[in-house]
This record gives sequence, structure tokens and C-alpha cells, in this order.
Amino acid sequence: MIELLNISKKYKKGNDVFTALKDISFKIGKGDFCSVIGPSGAGKSTLLYVIGGLIHPDSGVVSFEGKNIYNLTPVESNQYRKKHLGFMFQQFHLMPWLTVEENIRLACYDNKQQEKIEYYLGRCSLKELKNKYPSELSVGEKQRTAFIRAIISKPDILLADEPTGNLDKTNSEILMSLVKVYNSEGGTVIMVSHDPEIARFANKSVTLNKGRLE
Amino acid sequence: MNPLNLIIKELFYRKVNSLIILLTVIAAATVSVAIYTLSKASENETRKIMREQGLNLYIFPKGTNLIDFYSINNTPTFPEKYVDKLAESRTFDAVRHLTGILQVKYPGWTDPNGSTHQIVLIGYKDEAMQRFLPQQEIMGFDVMAGKVQVGALLARNIKEGEPFTITGADGKQYNYEIEKRLDEGRGMIDQGVAFNLSDLQELLGMPGKINKIEALGCVCMDGRIKNARNQVQAIFSDLEVTEMASIADARENQRLMMNKYGAFIIPFVMLSCLLITGLLFYQNITVRNREIGLLKAMGNSTYNILFLILAKAFILGLVGGIMGFFAGHFIAEYFGTEIFRFTASDIKPLWNVFLYSILLFPLLWVLASWIPALMATQIDAAKTLSQE
Repeated sequence: MIELLNISKKYKKGNDVFTALKDISFKIGKGDFCSVIGPSGAGKSTLLYVIGGLIHPDSGVVSFEGKNIYNLTPVESNQYRKKHLGFMFQQFHLMPWLTVEENIRLACYDNKQQEKIEYYLGRCSLKELKNKYPSELSVGEKQRTAFIRAIISKPDILLADEPTGNLDKTNSEILMSLVKVYNSEGGTVIMVSHDPEIARFANKSVTLNKGRLE
Repeated sequence: MNPLNLIIKELFYRKVNSLIILLTVIAAATVSVAIYTLSKASENETRKIMREQGLNLYIFPKGTNLIDFYSINNTPTFPEKYVDKLAESRTFDAVRHLTGILQVKYPGWTDPNGSTHQIVLIGYKDEAMQRFLPQQEIMGFDVMAGKVQVGALLARNIKEGEPFTITGADGKQYNYEIEKRLDEGRGMIDQGVAFNLSDLQELLGMPGKINKIEALGCVCMDGRIKNARNQVQAIFSDLEVTEMASIADARENQRLMMNKYGAFIIPFVMLSCLLITGLLFYQNITVRNREIGLLKAMGNSTYNILFLILAKAFILGLVGGIMGFFAGHFIAEYFGTEIFRFTASDIKPLWNVFLYSILLFPLLWVLASWIPALMATQIDAAKTLSQE
């Protein structure tokens, strides 16, 4: 489904050059749950955003269903993210002026998804909170809202950047069980974490250190 | 989710930012509309004053001795059709409100009490239509045939309801209905009577004759008045032009004063408000960089991002423009009542300005937010979303 071939990425800051990724190559098939683990600064998030089409690698190819995503036109690139990807972040990135339901609706591209929204709100125990604003939610509730927003349009791949980074153990487990259900229903998951525990949910694990695969 | 819904919700969430932007539009619109309305009122006031004072440009037959014109009756005349020919000329544009006049002294008018007086008779031809110039409100006397307007000094000797009776050059008595008794202090007409030109020509046995054209020379910064003489003489070499400078200057000063202030204040306020708006939008974009990053990560195009920012500016520009229009009109009306003696009650909402307001202010505020909006499209989604 998605294949990375010799991906390298360097950042320059003044005269210093920092290697974020060095010759990374691996494949992820449909329905895989791939954890990308490694210490801080290992290049995990860079790798995730390279797959997400948001960071252009210096060299190498990222293919989605056989097409290099960095050869797409801007319109095709937007469509790739809109149709095939769902993003989750450590900081949730919910719109503070929208309610839970409205934040989810942000990722709905037609008006016929009310039933689906209600279903996921129920499944994530957010039904009673659907008219609350993010400032009125706990971190766990915020992350579950962000999770529904990421998967509501049924993307092929869920890209999750340290989604449990701000959660306690209980909330982490609730979230991971929800992600696992999404995965068991055929969704592909690529999850970045510095927590090796996450790897136990995955059927595939990639460890990064100083931008290289271990 | 409907983008407009998204814009409105964000607008209400960041109330202070939105309110200040809205206030900048209201301020700019209020000042512009108020000054423009006052300037129009000033123009109307000037027109009214000019109507009271008379037209500022006199065209006489060449060689007319002005001392004689006002004191004796044998001044040269010229054909009435000269007025129409001037009005029809495409090149004659330095003069407006052409009014053909026959003005004579009438030494033996006997009032209803039997006393004899020397009075002035002034016949006014209907103001000529200069169809090659933009149409303007008629300024000259508008006396209907068969009627007269009687000066204040004469009116004292004629009772209400009585006709104005005068002996014609043919020895017959002519009666005219008095349609208006003019106020005192209007110059020569205080001791005279205003006729329709054809009536006076018939009375005096001078068909088709006039001895003066009164007009309004455009007292403009580009010095067109200087052309008036040349333009008249290019068409009729037997005519000459005299300018009543004091009236012209008064008119120029009054009219230009408001325009001068407006020409400085409106752009100054407008640019200041647009600059503040630009900075506020920049601040708004900076605060929202993660939200914009998220929208980009979710596959929203550059145009979607641009739309969210520019449509917000458009909505604020539209609402502010409408509110500013009414505030500006209110201010113009409030101060106009104090400033303008004749036209205070004529200060009405200028609906053509309203149309400009609802087009111009949204457009200008969209332009003010343009650079911040472009900056929003350049936000690096990966960078902002990975920040802790």
C-alpha cells in the first residue's frame, strides 16, 4: 500500500546540518498496524509527515498505491491527504471555537454523515459531550474527539503522532483499544511513539535512531 | 463543514480581534461618509447661497459701459438666440447655468397708491440646457409666463392679492399675477420686478432682445474661468465677459475648503484603518497557525485557506461599511444642522454612497487582509503541528 525507498531528509540551521532521516526504506501493507518507535529526535515525526505529504524529502520515493506522492500536483496532493489519510497529534489540535461534533464535522466532506458521527460518538463515550467545547473536555476526551475526526471519513491510513503522549495510562489504553478496532476493521495505522509499549498493539514495528532504521 | 459557518464561529470566538477590525471599518466608513455628505451639503449650500447672491459671470455686448448699464437705459442689446447657440456649443464648457436677461430701468411706474417710482425690470429667459455638459440643478430665476416676482421694496406698496400693473411701450396696461414677494437684501431686484423674458420683451416692444447673459463660471483649480472669455469670444466676437470676483471667490473658498479637508482626512483615516486591519489579520494568522496547519494537513487547498481569511475580511468590511454609512450620515446630519443654514433639512442619506460603501469597504478590507492571507497559505503544516 505504501512504500518508502531511500528516504533522506536533512535540516539546516545556520552552519549546522541535522540529519533527520537517512536512507529509510520499508513497506506497509493494507491493514497493517505499524509502530514507529525511537527516542526523541530520532526522526519519527519527520518520517510520519513525509508519509503524510507534508515534508518533502531531500531524496527517495514515497509511493502510495504505486504512485510517488511527491510527483502529485497540488490538487492531487490535497486529495491524497483528504481521501486517504487521517491525522492524530499529541496536542490534539482541536479548533477551540467548535464543539466536539463540529470538530468532527470539520473532516466530513458531505452532509450525510450524521449517523456515522453519532455512532463514533457513542463508541468513544462522547455522546453526552457532543455540544461541549474543547476547553470543557478532559485530555482523554479531547484525544478521542481528535481520533473520531481523523477516521470519520474512512481514510485508508491513520497517521498518529504520539497520540498517547499527553494521556494517562487509562486514557492511553482506551484510545489504543479504539485505534485497534479501527485497525481490525481494515484501516492501516502508522503510529509514532517514544513508548515501546505501543509496539505491542502493532503487527509491524520500525525503530528509528538518529534518523536511521535499526 | 460549511466554510461560512466556520468563519462566523471563529469571528465570534476571537471577539476582541474581530471587534477591533470591525471598528476600523466603521471608523473609516463613518469619516468618509460624513465628510462626503457634508461636502455635498456644502455644495448644495453654496448653490443656494449663489442662488441668493446671483450668478457670478456676466456676458455683455462688447463696449457696454457698466456704469451706463446700471444707470441709463440705452445699453446695447443682442439677440436672445445667442444663449441657445452658446448652450449648443460642444467647446463651450467653462460656463454653466446660462440665463439670458433683459434688464432695463423703468422710470415711470405708478404704484397702487398713485406714487411714481423708477424701478428695475428684469426678464429672465429659462436657463439654457447645455446638453453636452452634465446636467445640474437650475440656479437662475424661474419665472413663469404671465407671472412676476416682486422685489421687497416694491412689494410694500402692493397689497396681498392685487396684481402687478404696468404700462407697456405701446401705452397699454399689462396685469401680471404676483407669484412671489421676494425677501429684502437681494440687491437690485429689491427695487425691481422679475418677469419671464418673453413677457418683458412684449411689454417693452423688444422681441428677441436681451442685453445680458448671467452665468456661473466654474471656479476651478485648473483655471477654466480664464478660458471663459476666450471661449465666448471664439463664438461671438461681439460679446465680452465680466466676472463678479467677490462672489466667485466666496464660492470657491467655501466649496474647496470641505474638499481640501476631505482630500486629506479621508485617505489618512482610510490608510490608517487599513494598516491596523492588516496588522490585526497578521496577528490573527499568527495565533491560528496550528489551526491553519491542521486544515492543510486535512487536505484543504490554498484557495480554501485564502477563502477563510478573505471572506472574514469581506464580512467585516460589509458589516462595518453598512454601520459606518449610517453613523456617518447621522454625524453629517447632526453637525450639518449647525453648519448649513439653508440646506440643513436637505441632508438625506445618499443611497448611491451606500452602494459604494457596501462594495468599496468589503473590497478594501479584503485587500488589507491579502498579505496575511497569503502568509497563511505559506504556513508549514508539519512544523506547526509537531510543535509541543
